[in-house]
This record gives sequence, C-alpha cells and structure tokens, in this order.
Amino acid sequence: MTIKKKGDMIFTKSKRNRKEKVIKSIFFIAAIFGVVTIFSILFFLLKEAYPLPTDLWSFLSGTKWSPTESLLFGTYPLIVGTLLVTFGAMALAIPLSIGGALFISEIASSRVRSIIKPAIELLAGIPSVVYGFFGLILLTSWIKDFFGVPTGETWLAGSIILGIMAIPTITTVAEDALKAVPREYKEGSLAMGATRWQTINKVVLPTALSGITAAIILGIGRAVGETMAILMVCGNAAIIPSPLWNTFSPIRTLTSTLGIETAEVPVGGPHYHALFGVAVLLLLITLIINISAVYLLGLLQKRHNATKAKKKKPLLSITLVLKIKKILTSFVLLFLLLLLYLITGLLMTGALVVLGVLLWFMVKKLSQKSLQKIAFSTIGVSIIIILILLGIILSYIFINGTGMLSWEFLTEPPRSLGRAGGISTALIGTMYLVAGAIAIALPIGVGASIYLTEYTKESIMTKIIRTGADLLNGTPSIVFGLFGFAFFVLYLNFGFSLLAGQITLAFMIIPTILRTTEEALRSVPQAIREGSYAVGATRWQTIRRVVLPPAAPGIITGAILGIGRAAGETAPIMFTAVAFSSFFPSSFFEPVNALPYHLFIIATNVPGTAARAAAGGTALVLLLLVIGFYAIAILIRNHYQKTMKW
Amino acid sequence: MAEKEIIKTVNLNLWYAEKQALYDVNMSVLANKITALIGPSGCGKSTLIRCFNRMNDVIDKCKITGSILFDGADIYDANADAVEIRKKIGMVFQKPNPFPKSIYENIAYGPRVQGKNNKKDLDAIVENSLKVAALWDEASDRLHESAMGLSGGQQQRLCIARSLAIEPEIILMDEPCSSLDPIATAKIEDLMLELKKKYTVIIVTHNMQQAARVSDFTAYMYLGKLIEFGRTKQIFENPKEELTENYITGRFG
Repeated sequence: MTIKKKGDMIFTKSKRNRKEKVIKSIFFIAAIFGVVTIFSILFFLLKEAYPLPTDLWSFLSGTKWSPTESLLFGTYPLIVGTLLVTFGAMALAIPLSIGGALFISEIASSRVRSIIKPAIELLAGIPSVVYGFFGLILLTSWIKDFFGVPTGETWLAGSIILGIMAIPTITTVAEDALKAVPREYKEGSLAMGATRWQTINKVVLPTALSGITAAIILGIGRAVGETMAILMVCGNAAIIPSPLWNTFSPIRTLTSTLGIETAEVPVGGPHYHALFGVAVLLLLITLIINISAVYLLGLLQKRHNATKAKKKKPLLSITLVLKIKKILTSFVLLFLLLLLYLITGLLMTGALVVLGVLLWFMVKKLSQKSLQKIAFSTIGVSIIIILILLGIILSYIFINGTGMLSWEFLTEPPRSLGRAGGISTALIGTMYLVAGAIAIALPIGVGASIYLTEYTKESIMTKIIRTGADLLNGTPSIVFGLFGFAFFVLYLNFGFSLLAGQITLAFMIIPTILRTTEEALRSVPQAIREGSYAVGATRWQTIRRVVLPPAAPGIITGAILGIGRAAGETAPIMFTAVAFSSFFPSSFFEPVNALPYHLFIIATNVPGTAARAAAGGTALVLLLLVIGFYAIAILIRNHYQKTMKW
Repeated sequence: MAEKEIIKTVNLNLWYAEKQALYDVNMSVLANKITALIGPSGCGKSTLIRCFNRMNDVIDKCKITGSILFDGADIYDANADAVEIRKKIGMVFQKPNPFPKSIYENIAYGPRVQGKNNKKDLDAIVENSLKVAALWDEASDRLHESAMGLSGGQQQRLCIARSLAIEPEIILMDEPCSSLDPIATAKIEDLMLELKKKYTVIIVTHNMQQAARVSDFTAYMYLGKLIEFGRTKQIFENPKEELTENYITGRFG
C-alpha cells in the first residue's frame, strides 16, 4: 500500500492506543481503590455495629459503660473523656506549635531551620507506643510525686502526652501555610515601615489563618484518634471527672475502650456490637474533623489562585462579618470568664481580670520595638520548650534502653513472657508485616497518584479520590484495626494472621504514599512534559521516561515514611495479626509477634524489674528502627530539594 | 520552488473554559517558508501555535471548533492521533525545556520513543541534529554530560536539535528567543533561515524586528482575531488594516 499524502499518516495507531488505554485503566483501578476502601471500612463497621445492644439515644447519652457486668452501654463518659483529653492536649500543643511554626518560617536563619525542622519531623516519627511507654514509666510518676496524687495515670498525663504528639502535625501544616504567604505581601508591609512583628501579626498571620486553622483541626483529629499512648497513661476508668475540670481524675477515651476490650470480646454478642458502634462513632467524629480541615485547606489554595478567578460577591457584607466577629469574641470571653469562675472562685477571677486589663494597657503603651522583642522571645521560648520535650523523651528512651542492647537481645526469642531472652521474634515479625504492607501499598499508592496527576484533568472524580485519600489518612489507626478484624480475620476467615496484618497496615499507609508521590510528580515542571509530547511521545512514554525519573527520590521518601509508620503502629495489628509469641510464623496464615506489640505487653501486662528493663530495650530498638527510617526519608528529601533545579 | 500549502486553519475557534481566546481564524501556511505570528500580549498567538500540534490537549477545559488541515487531513478529526501529529509537527518552547538527562539522551529521546534503538543510527541522528542546530562544535566533547549545565542559548539550540531528531515536516517555535541574549538570538535566527530549506517554520514572536528579519509571511493578531495575514514585506511596508499599521509603527502595543 502506498501512502498518497503525508497528512494521512496522522491517523490513529490502534495497537499503541490500546496499550495506552490498558495502562491508564490500571492506574484508574489503583485510584478508585482509595474510595472503595473508605466506603468499605464504613460499611463493615456499620454492619458489625448492627444491632446495637441499646437504642441510639441511650448509647450516646447513657452515663455508664459497663459492658460485661451490668450490660450498660452508655458511651457518654467515653465521649466526654475523649473531648477532655483532646482539649487539654490542644491547650498545650496549639500555642507551642504556632510559636514553633512562626519561628521556623519567619525568624530562624536557614541554617537553624535546616536543623530544627527535621527535629520536629522526627518527633512525628516516634511510635505512639513509645510515647506511651515514656508516659507510663516517667511522666505518671512525676505527676504522682509532684502533685502528691495517689496515681499519675490521669487526664493530665494523657493530655501532656497527646499534646506532645500533636505538636509535629500542627507545626508542619501551619508552617506550610505560613510559607505559602507570598513574599510580596511581606515586602509590601515592610516597605511601609512596619516592624517584622507588625508584618507577621497584621499580614502574615491573617493571610495564613485558614491554613493554621486547618493545622489545628488536623492536630485535633490526631489527638482524637490516638489509642496506644492514651491507653497506657490515662488510667482508663470510664468515669466523668468530678468536678469536670479535675485533671487528676483517671479518664477513658473512645479509642482506649476499643484498644482494651476488642481483643477479649465474644464475637457477635451485644458487647461486640457495642464496640463496633464505638468505632463508627469515632470514625464519624474524625471524618467530620478531617472534612473541615480539607475544606479549609482548599479555601487557602483557592485564595492563592484568586487573582485570576472571577470575583464573586461575598455572601455576607463586610460590616456584618465584623459584627459577627465582635459578638463571637465577646461570647468566648464570657465563656472563659465563667470557666475561670467555676474553677477558681470569685475572688481569683476578679484578680485575674484586673491583672489582664492592666496587662492590656501596658502592651498598648509599649513601643513597637519592645513589642517585637516580647513577641519574638515568646516564640523563641515555645521552640525551646518543643526541643526540650523532644530531648527529654529521646534521652530517656536512650538512657533506659542502651543497657539492654546486645547481640543476644536482638537474636534470641523471648523467654518467660519477655523477662528474659530477646526480641528476635518481634523484630522479624515487624519486618514481615512491614515488607508485606509496603509491597501492597506501594503499587496502589503510586498508581493512584500517577492517575491523579498525569491522567486526569481536575474534575469531581479527582476531587472524590483525593478527598477519599485524605479521609483515609485521618482515620484513626484503631479503626483500621477493627475493620481488619471484622473483614479479614472474621469475614474472610484469615484468622489472626500475618496476611491480615499486612493488608490492614497497607490500607493505613496508602494515603501517605499517595500524597508524597503526588507532590513529587507535581514538582516536575509541565514544560518538561510538553517537551516530551512535542517530539511525539505518548503519555505513558512521557511518564515513564521523563516524569518518573526525577520524581523517584520523592516517591522513595514517601515509601520510607510509610515503612516507618507501619513499623511503629500497634493498634491496626493488635486485633488482626499479633500474638505474644516466641515462634516465627511459618505461613501467611499464622499470627506473628511485632515490636510495638511486644513493648506494649511487657510494659503493661508483665510485672517486675526484668520486664521493665526488657521493655526499655524494646522501646529503644523500636525507636531506632522507626526514627532511622524517618531520618533516611528526610535526608533523601533534603538532598534532592537542594540539588534539583529546573 | 513552487509554493505549496502545507497546513491551514479553517474557522478555528478556541475557548479556555468560558473565555474565548480565538475567533474564526483562517490562515494557510506555505511549505518551506517562515511564517511569523505577531501581536500584543494576550492576542492569542501562542494559543494559535499550540493548536497546530494539539498541545492545547493537555490544558484543562480547552474547547476547540473548526479544523486545521495538515496536508488535507484534519488534525482535529476524531480519528486523528495527537502523538502521530506531533511526530510530523515539532515544537520549540518559549523557555528552553531540556529533560534532566544528558545532551545525547535529550536528542535520542524522540527517536527512542518511536522505537529506534540501534546505537549507530542514534549516534548519527544525534550528531546530525546537533550539527544542523549549530551546537555540535560546542557540545561534541560533552555529549554525555547533563543538559542542565548548558547556557540558556545552548539549551534552546539543544531543544531545536531535539525537535529535528524526529524529522518533522513543520517546526513550531513559541517565542524561542524571549529568554535569550542578543548574541544567542542572532544564532537562532541564522538557524531558522537554514532550517527553512528543509522544514516549514511557524514562529511566534514579540519582537517585530525579528519577524521582519526572518519571516516570509506575517500574521498580525489582536484580541484573538487574525487581523491581517500576508507577505512580510507587504505587512511591514504597506499594511491594509489600520490596526496592523498602528501596531507596526509602534503607536500601540
């Protein structure tokens, strides 16, 4: 056949197009997976929660949770416990984190920043069971001695530990929001003769406000969903503190209830359904929290692109908004006054109010320069407190654990409930779990993000997938645990097994991998893709040869972060995979031991100094393992951020 | 040489979301000539040039009506394949966009994605393309070093060499000199005159002197409409439209 015209050569090559289509649908399947997972989690939890042993109203408002003795299933004290612990944690974490974020983005020199930022990110890498171990051994005894209370396992201890755990979440997201404030805004303000603090206070903070709010909401989500640490330090009595602000009362949260009771519950009984009811409740709370955070972050992005978008008439007039703001502020003030009055009595409240007013006038009198000094030193103090907290935890774990480290400790199986022998089964079990999880999560996470960034134009579909991933990311790990228990262990009849644990962990880390991969792909400039299309490369050729190679370090970083997270988690494997054993599994359908679980058991269930020492050693090994992964990931990222230039 | 039409637009309209960027553009481009698209910022000249190899496909919410006939075949036909089109119609971008690979790999990329993997053939293509793009003397001893280490002007000539490696019929150049200094610009202009012996060149430029210096035909665009199209000499010396004259004489734009 002869070709008459060159023009005829432009028509479709069907074979190649079929290949492109197949590749695209593979990525599409990966992407849809995230959405399916979140809905199937919700579905299975609902299915197992039905029928609730009581009506919905008494389930939510009943003041007594006594599922085994008196068959009372009131979650009210658990909800109150969750709220109180979270409230206390935020009182600690919010000021410190915002101070920390301001320090990193606005004050620190680039050299200081390059040290402090990774340090705070490392804080995020410490496994929650290690926080719990620290809280159980050290923090609770400090509280007991310092305040002279009968036990340190209290609301206060829980709030402090949770607060520390929420700091990295809030700091990093808030810092991102601050960093996104365009430099022109700041320069504009400085050029008008404003001080740096005035610029931060009047220009930077208001611009970043929705991002900072989202950071706080994500921090709240993190705190509400935390299980292991809370379970280890809060005393777990299902009571409402009396009076409500008695921070020395033991307390029990929704998550710790699941953590304590799920393992021993008879399947299918009223208690079983009630626990899944609690899980649904927990999931709904975190869904609401996360949806509002996602929404706020979306607003922020929209505003940064707002110059191009059409201006819409605001829903409320500016004067109305200002009025509403005024009313809201006075309500909050009144509420705080009332709280103060309830806690401290009339005299103290009066004194504090007078003091506050005096302080207000003093601040008004100060020159801008001294104001800046005060503001910057407050910010400096908050970053120092964060670093001290990090230092205390790390050094305690190190000092407490190094004595145990030896070749035997790493290579011997545990004997007499972990008091003697080593941790080899736990170490190997963790490696099995993590290897399986990453083998499942990596292709799905990377595939989904390739679909999102390379194959789709922004649409409702991509929004759903991305939101699904975000929600999955904010789902408490214990909820994954219950889902794995209901779906893999019971429904698919895997039993407590390595495989069930691997898949459950994989579900949990898919969002991490998806998000970091997406970021890496997006950082490859569009111009490079166009250059490739312009010489007649297909989409898949462009992705494989031009986009993926420079994005590889970012993807690897995401994978390593995922590995670190999977290695440190306890809650998702507690009801799916682990058994405290001194054997290695011989198939995918046998239970395994795992480091975080091993630590949890010997720290909480095995008495005696030998067990305590072994727990210290286990905590150190676990910490080193997880922090090691995080450190590698951070190093790779920083290295390529510096060397990659476009 | 007889003048032969190679590509033409027929009633071409284009929208980015709600906003119409091109209105009923009709122009035909002759083979082995340089055609320049000029006009003030935002007039649609870059948008138009990106229609010729369907580069607008990768942009969100872009809608096109009308057709572009390449040697008689509509490139916006439902069966037309953007990948095949781009093999015939190459493009050089406003900012040099070499891949983060070696000089050699940048040029071999096009032939490779089209399935040519023979080392000898590739060597020949690379050498030939670099020679035509007047980069061989500067780059022959560092073929396997990263292209990111080249100067801006060298990078742009590399991108031209890259587009030559697939032996297209037409080369589209979207303001190829806008990020280059005068010396590098002069080199690229010489290169264009060399290229038109074998290829058809369509160039978008902000620089009217450049259009006058190198092009055979000039199209003046304003607010998404093709105002005037004709031989460069006529457009610059004797424009028919007042809008064109105002722009050419610098009274506006």
